[in-house]
Amino acid sequence: MEADVWIERLRKVELETPVAVVGSPGLRSIGKLVVNQLIDAAKANLTAELYSSHLPMIYHTKPSYVSHYSLPGVGGARVKHGQVDLPKVQFYTCPSPSMVIVKGYHANFAGQYDVAEKVVEVLSEFAVSRIIVAAGYGSETSKVCCAATSPDIIREMKETLNLEVDYSGPFYGFSGLVFGLAKLKGIDALCLFAGTEPAPEDLEFPDPKASEMILDVLNQMLGFRK
Amino acid sequence: MNVEIKILKKFVPKDFTLVSGLPGIAYIGKLSVDYLIQQLKAELVAEVYSKYFPPYVLIRSDGIVELLRNELYFLKDETAGDLVFFSGNSQAFSPEGQYEVADKLLDWAVANGVKKIYSLAAYVSDRVFDVPNVYGTATSTEALEEMKKMGVMPLDEGVISGENGLIIGLAKKRNVEAVCLMGETRGYQTPTGQYIIDAKASKAVLKLLTAALNLKVDMEPLDKQAREMDEIIARMAEVERRIKEELAEAAKKPSYVT
Repeated sequence: MEADVWIERLRKVELETPVAVVGSPGLRSIGKLVVNQLIDAAKANLTAELYSSHLPMIYHTKPSYVSHYSLPGVGGARVKHGQVDLPKVQFYTCPSPSMVIVKGYHANFAGQYDVAEKVVEVLSEFAVSRIIVAAGYGSETSKVCCAATSPDIIREMKETLNLEVDYSGPFYGFSGLVFGLAKLKGIDALCLFAGTEPAPEDLEFPDPKASEMILDVLNQMLGFRK
Repeated sequence: MNVEIKILKKFVPKDFTLVSGLPGIAYIGKLSVDYLIQQLKAELVAEVYSKYFPPYVLIRSDGIVELLRNELYFLKDETAGDLVFFSGNSQAFSPEGQYEVADKLLDWAVANGVKKIYSLAAYVSDRVFDVPNVYGTATSTEALEEMKKMGVMPLDEGVISGENGLIIGLAKKRNVEAVCLMGETRGYQTPTGQYIIDAKASKAVLKLLTAALNLKVDMEPLDKQAREMDEIIARMAEVERRIKEELAEAAKKPSYVT
């Protein structure tokens, strides 16, 4: 194994200035639900996969998105429908609307930067015009708020979609670092945070209503529901 | 990207002094450097990013995302000459990462003509004191003697953990003159393990540093913060004293008395 993060390209596609949508297992699994539903709704095709020795099969941290340097997890394979597979990040593409959808996976503490950096590199190769991250935040109100890499995008979100800034604080895991590294690499990015009530016994317990709120906003932005 | 120094504004420092203070025990190094940056209105000229910083981002109150980072600020001072301040909201989390960040900083500093380095840090003490001492170590006897004349107590033995220590250790390997000033602190922590900022220790460090650099800095805002912190620290010291008394009393009783 020459590299600890590598990409397998499954098909060659050419997209016209696509928008990337990124989600991963996180608070109430909102990001994960959004990308899964978006892939189905847009009939997106699996185009590339990222593998890494930093992707644990079993996490020693719970929730998975809060990593710890002394708890790297355990590597391993998954068997599903009799087929063996490795943990991975997947890139789906769709020509209309022109999109790259990233189904994220949390690396361990030491590998998160390497994995997120590779994801941003792949999105750069697709020449994405913008990255939209979907995630959840703990809130008593059910609404979508936003964060971004620049004040211009914050203003645009307010003017076009009436989205406010409502969350400040840390953003852990795969999606947070992709968001931050996009800024460092000069790619415009924004995050749609859906307000959700954290479930203390299982912080990743799915909240489909919250993910639906983000999908509605994404549909206004991208028009993937035909 | 192991470590990346992103230059935001072209600047040409000449025979400059590097003053470094990253977050550590009681935030003495960071508070001291941040205070100088603020009071002297030093200009942000570069950002340092690394995959060795903890893997999360911060969303600011205005909704803008930020990676954790270190920063370089530049100041041309009439009396102290060219100064570069190194601070930030994080340290690398592993020894490998701390070496790489410190090494990259020194690569840059040496390539740009650094004259002397001051690393600011903490010295945890059990001593009960009103005025904290400032302990010091240096890469040369001459530099340490100079600091001793100013009131710095030489550190005979001890550990300067993290990048605040590595910067002076690696500077020595490169034959760059460096001094580490450590403010004495009790190193009080909150129940969740967060260090309480020790402004009094920072003030003690800055008093010596500004004298050494011939820098004029208004210390009143830090004095105010130090007075406020004094009250908190006095309360914590009282709690500590009571716990010690109770433990001593409990130890006097026979073990079968419950």
